Amino acid sequence: MNSSMEKRQASDTSEFQENLEILRRMDFFSALSLQALKVFAYLFTRKIFKPGDYLFHQDDNDGNAFYILSGTAEVVRKDESGEFSLDKYGEGEFLGGLALLGDMRRLFSLKALTDMTCLVMSREKFTKAIEQFPDLMPRVLETMVDRIRSWEERLFIDKDKLCDTCKKKVGVSLI
Amino acid sequence: MRKTATPVVKRSLPSWILSSNLKLQALLLLVILVTVFARVLPLEMQKRIVNEAIRFGEIQMLFLYCGYYLAAVVVATGLKYLISALQNLIGERALADMRKALYHHILTLPLNFFRKTQPGLVVASLVTELASAGNFVGMAIGVPVASILTLFAFAGYLIWLNPLLALISLSIYPMVLILLPRLQHQANKANKRRVDTTRTLSGKIGEAISGIHEIHGNGSYRIENRRYDKMIDKLYKIRIIWNLYKFSVKSVNNFFNNLSPFLVFIVGGYLAIKGRLDLGALVAFISAQEKVYDPWKELVEFYQVYQDASVRYRRTMEYFDELPEHALEPDDREPYELEGSIEVKDLSFLAEGGIQLLDGINLSLKPGQQLALVGFSGSGKSTLAQCVGQLYKYTGGHVLLGGEEVADLSKKDMINNIGFVSQTPFTFEGTIKDNILYSCASRLDSDEIGESDAMPSLDDMIEALQQTGIFVDVLRFGLNTILVYDEHQDLASKIVRVRDHFKREFGEELGDYVEFFAEDNYLYHSNIAANLTFGSPNLESFTLQNLAVNDYFLRFLDKADLTRPLLTLGAELCRQTVDILGNLPPEKVFFEQSPIRAEELDEYKMLATRLAKTKLHHLSPDDRTGLLRLALRFIPGIHKMVGMPSILEELILEGRALFKENISRDDPGAVTFYQASEYIYSQTILDNIFFGKTKTVNPQAEEKIDQSIIQVLIEEDLLETIVEIGMEFQVGSKGDRLSGGQRQKLAIARVFLKAPRVLIMDEATSALDNKSQARIQSLLDTRWKGQSTLIAVVHRLDIIKSYDKIAVMKAGRIGEMGTYDDLIAKEGMLYELIYGKKTSI
Repeated sequence: MNSSMEKRQASDTSEFQENLEILRRMDFFSALSLQALKVFAYLFTRKIFKPGDYLFHQDDNDGNAFYILSGTAEVVRKDESGEFSLDKYGEGEFLGGLALLGDMRRLFSLKALTDMTCLVMSREKFTKAIEQFPDLMPRVLETMVDRIRSWEERLFIDKDKLCDTCKKKVGVSLI
Repeated sequence: MRKTATPVVKRSLPSWILSSNLKLQALLLLVILVTVFARVLPLEMQKRIVNEAIRFGEIQMLFLYCGYYLAAVVVATGLKYLISALQNLIGERALADMRKALYHHILTLPLNFFRKTQPGLVVASLVTELASAGNFVGMAIGVPVASILTLFAFAGYLIWLNPLLALISLSIYPMVLILLPRLQHQANKANKRRVDTTRTLSGKIGEAISGIHEIHGNGSYRIENRRYDKMIDKLYKIRIIWNLYKFSVKSVNNFFNNLSPFLVFIVGGYLAIKGRLDLGALVAFISAQEKVYDPWKELVEFYQVYQDASVRYRRTMEYFDELPEHALEPDDREPYELEGSIEVKDLSFLAEGGIQLLDGINLSLKPGQQLALVGFSGSGKSTLAQCVGQLYKYTGGHVLLGGEEVADLSKKDMINNIGFVSQTPFTFEGTIKDNILYSCASRLDSDEIGESDAMPSLDDMIEALQQTGIFVDVLRFGLNTILVYDEHQDLASKIVRVRDHFKREFGEELGDYVEFFAEDNYLYHSNIAANLTFGSPNLESFTLQNLAVNDYFLRFLDKADLTRPLLTLGAELCRQTVDILGNLPPEKVFFEQSPIRAEELDEYKMLATRLAKTKLHHLSPDDRTGLLRLALRFIPGIHKMVGMPSILEELILEGRALFKENISRDDPGAVTFYQASEYIYSQTILDNIFFGKTKTVNPQAEEKIDQSIIQVLIEEDLLETIVEIGMEFQVGSKGDRLSGGQRQKLAIARVFLKAPRVLIMDEATSALDNKSQARIQSLLDTRWKGQSTLIAVVHRLDIIKSYDKIAVMKAGRIGEMGTYDDLIAKEGMLYELIYGKKTSI
């Protein structure tokens, strides 16, 4: 898009442009060229969740990634002993990038605590789109690897708080 | 296939002549005999015209002979056409028979055959390579007989005219007969190589097309291009050589044929000068001799067609010359109705290359027992299931189904007793209904007893849809159907009733998810055209596609001050959409949120280029129509690349009132306004029930909507009707309009409807969501347990607890087998699969 075109925008900004702004600031998509970003910004759709709605269910292979525009969601895991909540996510957080890359059954559910608006991308859309920009895949993978590494690195900042069993189970970055 | 019939791949090319329509062939022969006579007659007339009529000045006779001449020519032409027509008929029929027989044969070939055969190759064989063989069969009797007879007739006539001249001019043919086959032999060799190379080439193309995702993913265009180009270059060389030999056959033939008048001129001229030959006879001789060339040429061409056809035919048939591993039907008995017991004894399966995929497998299942096969990928669990299902022919040991050896059973025995669901089931083009009835139809079709009553009823089908959890999807397909006024008036009026009912019961609860048609509100989930007309068109000229060229509507836009703002909006939509989608392929994911359809993209791309250079009011009328069309389609709730200018919204609402006023006055029948009491034929059933449009919602909201719709439809007794409409949904080629999960569910529904005694499921639920998987598993646990023997290859280990037996496979062997509790207590392989190695913690 050249600058003369930008001036001729309609007075009300479009969702597409808002999406584009958000994506430009996101880690996961930082490696993408502007043209690719536009396609992704176009493919992200907004969905609304009410309190109690699930963004995804444990054991499902929904393949969606979420960017939270507003509201809060809670991570919940269910097993033989019942349901327990783990963590909360809120505005500005991006969840599920890994689910875009390949089959993954959810290890827990994500449940809306308040009214939520999310940008949602499905694995099908992501795969079809990334096929159009084959040189991007390595960079997306790089970003992903880096995120996993820094995730585990952060774990060691408070290493004293780690429980003993937890210490024995570290090593996501060794996968 | 009857046992006595030779398999098609063993048949010789000439055998097709015998099996072609012999009555037609006889008729052809008769016509040819008449033609030969009609061809010789003009020659005699020619001689008589010169020698008798002209020489003696007999005008009467000249007319008479010329009359005969003309008649003979007309008859010969007509007959020639008749001959071609007959040949064509015989040839095409033979070709059709060959194509059918070969296709029927190919479908029965073992699965292994298809592992090494690309679809493209089968296509090429059936479509192109056999064509020349059909051509040959059409010519096979007519052409040689006609040519040889004509040849002899002319030769006899020549000898009768002048034996010496005749012998001299005919002396060239023996020489041609020696030379031609040698050249043809070379051409044949090149032709064989051509067929083989074409075959590899079509295989290569097939591979590239089916692997296109991988090629895009890796950006390996260059590699693939190089491989393809190399093959094309090879083919290019072979074809040149082949054609050169073919031409050389023609050239040699031509040369000798042109040589023979030369001999006649020298000898005949000498004789005429010496007065030993009259001029009329020489003229007749020269024309007759020229005519010898035609049948000869036809004969040589026929020879070439025969050679080409037999090379291609043999090469094609040789390729498919494999036998089906199992007979299609039993020869001497009715198909078995077997008991569902399964006994596997010391089973082994050796794949090509000596790889032992299964080794020493022993297991036994009583009728109705259920076995889960688990293990790492590559452990042979799928292979075992496929061996039991007769999809692979095991190489050692025994599989007994109801006491009968599976290897000796016919396919018919198997399909009568077994239902197989593969991991990636195939969905065929057609409707949902076609696809779920596929197994049943196939089972009944070959039954000679008229058992059409045995086809599942609508209730059975609906039950199967519910059991597999695709019911709601099918209901959705039904709800998304647009009814046709002429066919469905009855149903339409019922749906208006449903609309009231729905509004009463759920209007408030679901209000957030639906945008109701309300005359005072802007509809963000409807397009601008619908917002302006607020109705559905009854006239062709008022449909969405035609509004932009409807003069009445255009004048209205002007009056409502909407033309300019709509054009601006259209331009903005065009620019933005082209900017985002300009270089993307025409796939559904990319275009479902775009006002420009995939097939229009190129057109709008060019328009966008013109827009960048031209002011809006300088655009051509066509371009303005294009932009207006885009603007009228704009749905702010879906097309997010452009925001809806708020000023335009107000203009449109004012326009809506103006339009209603005008059209009610000028052409009241053109549009039916949205009214709560009328069915809207331009909208889907669902939108009619809502009297509005659903907003983009999350899956849970969709579920709530589905449930309430189902409840209302049940209460109004319309659920089955809508599902029945949904079952007419076209699934697209290979089922590409369905999701992977939907395809799997259809495949399972297909087998559940057939209710076989033995059920084999090869990771049949792998693409399903958790709920559907659980539902199907619990159905297997309750409804099918004790009814059908089940062998299930299972990937997920949390659903195997209820199986009677679990076999854990490793490297082609059963490592351990028993009930879930026993195996877990043993802390052996199953334990390790589920909880990981004990030592690693």
